[in-house]
Amino acid sequence: MAVVHLDALYHTALRLTHSRPEAEDIVQETYLRAFRNFHRFNVGTNCRAWLFTIMRNVFLNRLRGQGREVLQGEADVREASDTSSSAHVGLGNPEEEFFQTVLHGDIDRALKALPLPFREAVVLTDLEGLSYREVAEVVGCPIGTVMSRLSRGRSLLRRALSRFAREHGYVKEVE
Amino acid sequence: MNCTEFRARLHPYVDGELPVAEMAAADAHGAECPECAALSRREREFRQLLRRQPREAAPAELRAGIVRRVRREARWRSALPRIAVPAMAAAAAAILVALLLPTMRPATLVADLVDKHIAYAQIERPAELTSADPAEVAEWFRQRAGLRVTVPDYSPSGIRLVGARLAEAHERKAAYLLYEKGRTLLSVFMVPVVQVRPELPGSRVSYRGQPYATWERKGMRTVSWADGQTLFGLVSTLDYEALLECADRLRLERAAQTRL
Repeated sequence: MAVVHLDALYHTALRLTHSRPEAEDIVQETYLRAFRNFHRFNVGTNCRAWLFTIMRNVFLNRLRGQGREVLQGEADVREASDTSSSAHVGLGNPEEEFFQTVLHGDIDRALKALPLPFREAVVLTDLEGLSYREVAEVVGCPIGTVMSRLSRGRSLLRRALSRFAREHGYVKEVE
Repeated sequence: MNCTEFRARLHPYVDGELPVAEMAAADAHGAECPECAALSRREREFRQLLRRQPREAAPAELRAGIVRRVRREARWRSALPRIAVPAMAAAAAAILVALLLPTMRPATLVADLVDKHIAYAQIERPAELTSADPAEVAEWFRQRAGLRVTVPDYSPSGIRLVGARLAEAHERKAAYLLYEKGRTLLSVFMVPVVQVRPELPGSRVSYRGQPYATWERKGMRTVSWADGQTLFGLVSTLDYEALLECADRLRLERAAQTRL
């Protein structure tokens, strides 16, 4: 059986849940649902995006079931429209140098702290390489929203990473 | 494009998601504005940092578990009234196919490549990376987009490598290589596909024992083929003999690379 996309789904589930057993459950359920709902799949449309959409629903249902963090942060999303913040960061900013010093665990930690709408935009685009259109399909929002979440998500992530770098003492405090 | 316009498009620019014309305008702005160029470089580096994150592969037991559960479910369903059996068997087969599904129609895809070739031919600096060194270009794709790209050396046939860019074709990141023979451009596209045997447009031809499709569109000749993971498309006004020769060379170099 061709379980293509499995690594990508598993990897994303891991980024969303930060738990291997949970990620495995979610991915398994995703494939079962895909199997049961195959008649709803439009042949010729994007299979990868379809599987990611199912997985996102499985994941959100679980969160709701556990009464945990659900897709909010819409206030942050609105705020994103008035910040093209990353573009305003000047040159020669010490942020630039922290790239060399980011520790593996830092990115996990920073991603985990991102509100879900931004986290999923960044994970799907930057870590999984989905196109804007695919991400829009998966999260069910317009491409413009994907773009603003991505820009905001990246800048939040960057800020968190630069904070960690300062904590590690790699980057000197400015201001 | 001015700085404000460039910065408003920074993310889609870095992600290769701008339309061809805007992409070219952004390239041009970056070439003359060091500040904006530095911004996009920094954004790219950040993306590379994220991409370099170790990716944990799905455990083998998970894969086996999924196969087992889907099969069990198929069996359980086929234990329902007899009439359901062929339908379920078909669904089971269908899901296997689904997981290998085309994400686009190859004819549309190849037509899209022709449009891109024509569009790139009209812009002043169509390559994002200008280099005549195949190794450098291959490394650029690896760093930039995590793509493993074979960059054939056509210099023995007088076809010069000009450079490369990251293109988007039907929601997929595609590798685009640009060559020149005299003043004639040759575009080589490699698009990841998930379909094993896509139906390619045009006539079937065999060249040195390998099957290709040749197709003319908008005054361009195209040669395309697929190897299960990648669809290859050559677009040019060069004659078919030359294009097939290039296709064959690419196929050989790729095979040699895979064996390594």
